[in-house]
Amino acid sequence: MKASNEAVNDKKVIIIGAGPAGLTAAYELCKASIESLVVEKDTTVGGLARTVNFNGYLFDIGGHRFFTKVKSVEEMWNEVLGSDFIKRNRLSRIYYDEKFYYYPFRISNALLNLGVWNSILVITSYIKSQLFPQRPELTFEQWVSNRFGKRLYQMFFKTYTEKVWGISCNEISADWASQRIKGLSLFTALRVALLKQKNTASENSIKTLIDSFHYPRFGPGMMWNEVKNRVIDNGSKVLLGADVEKIYLSDNKVTRLEINIEGKSEVISGTHFISSMPVRELINKLSPVAPNPVLEAARNLNYRDFLTVILIVNKKEVFQDNWIYIHDPNVRLGRIQNFKNWSPDMVPDQNKTCLGLEYFCFEGDGLWTMPDEDLIELGKTELTSLGLADKTLIENGTVVRMPKAYPVYDSSYLESLEVIKQFLANFVNLQLVGRNGMHKYNNQDHSMLTAMLAVRNIRGANYDLWKVNTDKEYHEDISQAERTDVDELSTLATTQPLHPRLFTIKNEKLTGLDLLIKAFARMDKFAFALAVGSASGLAIFVSTFWLILTGVDSRDPNFNLLGQYFIGYTVSLSGALIGLGYCFLWGFIFGWLYAYLRNLSISVYLHRVKRQAESRSFKDFLDYI
Amino acid sequence: MEGKKINTEEENLYSAVMILNTKMLGLTLGISIGLVIFIATNWLVLKGGHIGPGGEYIVGPHLELLSQFFIGYKVSFMGSILGFFYGFAFGTIFGTLIGWIYNKIVELRK
Repeated sequence: MKASNEAVNDKKVIIIGAGPAGLTAAYELCKASIESLVVEKDTTVGGLARTVNFNGYLFDIGGHRFFTKVKSVEEMWNEVLGSDFIKRNRLSRIYYDEKFYYYPFRISNALLNLGVWNSILVITSYIKSQLFPQRPELTFEQWVSNRFGKRLYQMFFKTYTEKVWGISCNEISADWASQRIKGLSLFTALRVALLKQKNTASENSIKTLIDSFHYPRFGPGMMWNEVKNRVIDNGSKVLLGADVEKIYLSDNKVTRLEINIEGKSEVISGTHFISSMPVRELINKLSPVAPNPVLEAARNLNYRDFLTVILIVNKKEVFQDNWIYIHDPNVRLGRIQNFKNWSPDMVPDQNKTCLGLEYFCFEGDGLWTMPDEDLIELGKTELTSLGLADKTLIENGTVVRMPKAYPVYDSSYLESLEVIKQFLANFVNLQLVGRNGMHKYNNQDHSMLTAMLAVRNIRGANYDLWKVNTDKEYHEDISQAERTDVDELSTLATTQPLHPRLFTIKNEKLTGLDLLIKAFARMDKFAFALAVGSASGLAIFVSTFWLILTGVDSRDPNFNLLGQYFIGYTVSLSGALIGLGYCFLWGFIFGWLYAYLRNLSISVYLHRVKRQAESRSFKDFLDYI
Repeated sequence: MEGKKINTEEENLYSAVMILNTKMLGLTLGISIGLVIFIATNWLVLKGGHIGPGGEYIVGPHLELLSQFFIGYKVSFMGSILGFFYGFAFGTIFGTLIGWIYNKIVELRK
């Protein structure tokens, strides 16, 4: 997407959506003294990262931990929030059968909670899965069962996954488990396994962010409201309650938008457009209408929706966690947020608790269309049935629905998205950013980064926003050294055209892989057997021949000892040949066996390293659902 | 895309065939065999021998047979040093030969 050569003052950027992506774009544009106008359909900013106020109780839509590997994003958070950006300890367990299970799993805690009989069943199931894995491994169910055992899968993965996605686990591809949860590289796993053995007490040990995170004192909405205020103070505008009805195209450009504010239509023009609205909606609002294949592709993009039932409980502590995962198949709710544990300032009365009961659904389904009072009643009933709080303690409640909370990665979405991308690439002044804007199941920091780079593109850079994929390297375990060393923006700025792959040093990766291949490559059994056999046979032949040449008495029993093992061997020419034959045979067998055992042990080691890395990679799987 | 790249790396790893470093193999085997002979000889020297039928002191009569191949070798401390060098030479040649034959066969099979 090449920016025009217009002077800064000639640029007017229209931003659709006032979520993290849209507002970040506006904020960055303010810093560059470029005028912008943000149009937001809702009456509040923040998008999926909003905070809602219900009778003084603040709650979020889902949980929004603020952590990132991206320096510029982190800087923006600190810049905006200052001392209101507080650090919180993380505790988020699984609640199952009225017991709390630590997540990531702790074996002792899990076994203790399960009890003796269930523990035996789980262990037996695990052993069975290791001895008789399901092949081929095509579905998510098979992938998880093969690694954790069927029983553990059914208890802790199946129910929750199906609640979140509304799809049976045996219809989800196995690729989703391995690729979605950080692409696992055997190379990386080997490096970790080998280096770990050397540097167990290293000062630069991996710092995990799983145990803590940052959070705005009054919720993520605090962040985005502050950004909105700064954007407005800088002379740009944020229009709330402004629904985009039409997006007009002409000559490979977006020219203007038609918006509806309070029933009145208004047309706004701009030189550049940044959209974070759901891409399905974007396509449907284009004028002239997009070609049929593009419309069809847009129709094929699906979303998972979300509603949260807020309950105010007259109880000081319901549970200690920031949130808990509900794996119980007997209730429909998937997660419970305890907003007081995110920040004490989220509740006005510390003797009470504000809980967010999260239900995953599809817009228009039974849950979605249920009246609010019924949803609140359902929430109360389920909370009580879980044993977390009595109904009588629940004072008040409300419901918030969030459509298009999660883009769905079904079997057709990639192809559909590709069609849309190719079509929209024709419009040089339109950029898509954010989760729904790009139909990319990403986190807030990724949305913000795409917005930052979109602004840089407007200022003359040439980033391909579709290639910004911090998901690949995005994991919570990063080294402190890496965070301080890498300046992703300057790194990106030095490469043209730019494909911002962060934290990848290609050359080092190749060299390391070559070394690992050299170290772990299999030995050719036949070749080694032949080599050892030949060399051994030759050694005996030469030795025997040497004895003959030196005039050793061929009847001397000492020199015929080999005859005990090699029947027919004597210190003579014929004996030398016999010895050659025998030694070749035994050398061949020994060499083959050695190579076989070596390959087997290397294979076992690699398998073990990979499985350990998979388990490590999978331990925070629930965070990525 | 990333998944595909990772699978290629793994495929490369699993399909690669080891090439032996003949020098290193020779050196390793040379040192190993040299050390075996050195230790075995000195072990017998320290363990001590017995008086033979002719009244002579016999130490390690079987290991002494190595003198047929290693001229000058004896079951004594000096002999152990000589034996080390002979063993080293033999092991080096043996190991290099194995490595060379192996690499040639692997090359042919490719």
